[in-house]
Amino acid sequence: MDFKSMAELLDHCERKKRSIAEVMLDVEASKTGRSKATIIEMMKQRLMKMKDAVDAGVSDRSTAPSGISGGDACLMGHYKDKGEYLSGSFIVDAMRFSFATSETNARMGVIVATPTAGAAGILPGCLFSLRENAGLSYEKLVMGLFTASALGYVIANRAFISGAAGGCQAEVGSATAMAAGAIVELKGGTPVQAVNATAIALKSMLGLVCDPVAGLVEVPCIKRNVIGTAIAFSAADIALAGITSRIPCDEVIAAMYEIGKKMPVTLRETSLGGLAMTPTGKEIKDRILKKESF
Amino acid sequence: MEYNSCFDIIGPIMVGPSSSHTAGAVTIGNFVYQILNGVPDRVEITFFGSFSQTYRGHGTDKAIIGGLLGMGTDDLRIKQALELAEEHGMKMMFRLEEECPYFDHPNTVLIRAEKGKESVVVGGVSLGGGLSKVFLIDEIQVDIPLNAPRSVVLHKGNLTRKIHFR
Repeated sequence: MDFKSMAELLDHCERKKRSIAEVMLDVEASKTGRSKATIIEMMKQRLMKMKDAVDAGVSDRSTAPSGISGGDACLMGHYKDKGEYLSGSFIVDAMRFSFATSETNARMGVIVATPTAGAAGILPGCLFSLRENAGLSYEKLVMGLFTASALGYVIANRAFISGAAGGCQAEVGSATAMAAGAIVELKGGTPVQAVNATAIALKSMLGLVCDPVAGLVEVPCIKRNVIGTAIAFSAADIALAGITSRIPCDEVIAAMYEIGKKMPVTLRETSLGGLAMTPTGKEIKDRILKKESF
Repeated sequence: MEYNSCFDIIGPIMVGPSSSHTAGAVTIGNFVYQILNGVPDRVEITFFGSFSQTYRGHGTDKAIIGGLLGMGTDDLRIKQALELAEEHGMKMMFRLEEECPYFDHPNTVLIRAEKGKESVVVGGVSLGGGLSKVFLIDEIQVDIPLNAPRSVVLHKGNLTRKIHFR
């Protein structure tokens, strides 16, 4: 038992009357011979590592070794405490936890790649915001990780998930799309709605280039993670409202692949174009390269 | 299908900052460590493509050396891997090239490592999300995904070695 497309995944869900998360769990069990309890325990271990990264990051004001990131999770926290935010507590907390995780990543702390380290802030940001604001249990969040991994599994095998291969649309785009689908399923949406959320989120990320300043996973990566959480919640709300993607998800993924293939190498994580080559981007790079210890 | 498990997508648990350039590189270095059954005395590491453009910012050098010292992807000592390797007496040389002649992917590395009388050349590619594979051992093209424990049998001259790769 396996699936190679969103259509096949939905077919499994439909025939077995199961959620996307349950289908992923079945597939993993059938492919590895491991018990479902063992697989759930392994996934829970990853969730707890994500929690550690969030907890470490929310109150850490220190900068990364580069000196160009750090402390923004704290600022977001102070802003939230004032209570005058515009976008609602779900998104504000998701952004805060996403900052926390991505800043921990830049400090060379321990994180969980979801699906990559460069995009590691989005899924934990969304999941722990759901816990904070809707009281979801860890067991539920673990199922959210199975939903997200099923969606990411299809994207990774049909296109790509790294900025070097397909641009930021492949990396932050995939993570945002996975998070959108996971939110829908955790909110009680159907598998079809989850896949619609995935398509809607990914569509809004198409064409995004990978242009990290000085080759670091910091500028603009951290804020793209943070904004990704807002897109994930928006796409989830759209899908839960019963709105569908006019382009089926598998075709959106195919378009992402085609766009990534055409993307010039200067805009695929080589730091030879885009924001990396702006006057400020170049100045930061020169300054960092001069630091012997780094 | 390169990605075979939900844990290829959610995972690895790793030190930052990059799954391709840090975690994937640790795994390739660790493969060489396991082939040589210990820390090499001397290594020559050639980075290609995006690896050679951005290795410094991602700590790809520290990651490969961390792997060569036997570390896993979530080992916090990766930050100090270069210093630890020097303490160990490992001689390290890094070269930067544009395109890998053996494998078409932006994140490829060639590691030539020596330990005592043994030496090995390993070509590895980091595919994204921390998933790596080995495409070259000495002169031979291979295809060994590094996402699950497996056994590799190496025949070299009179030497046969079975490695249970973690």
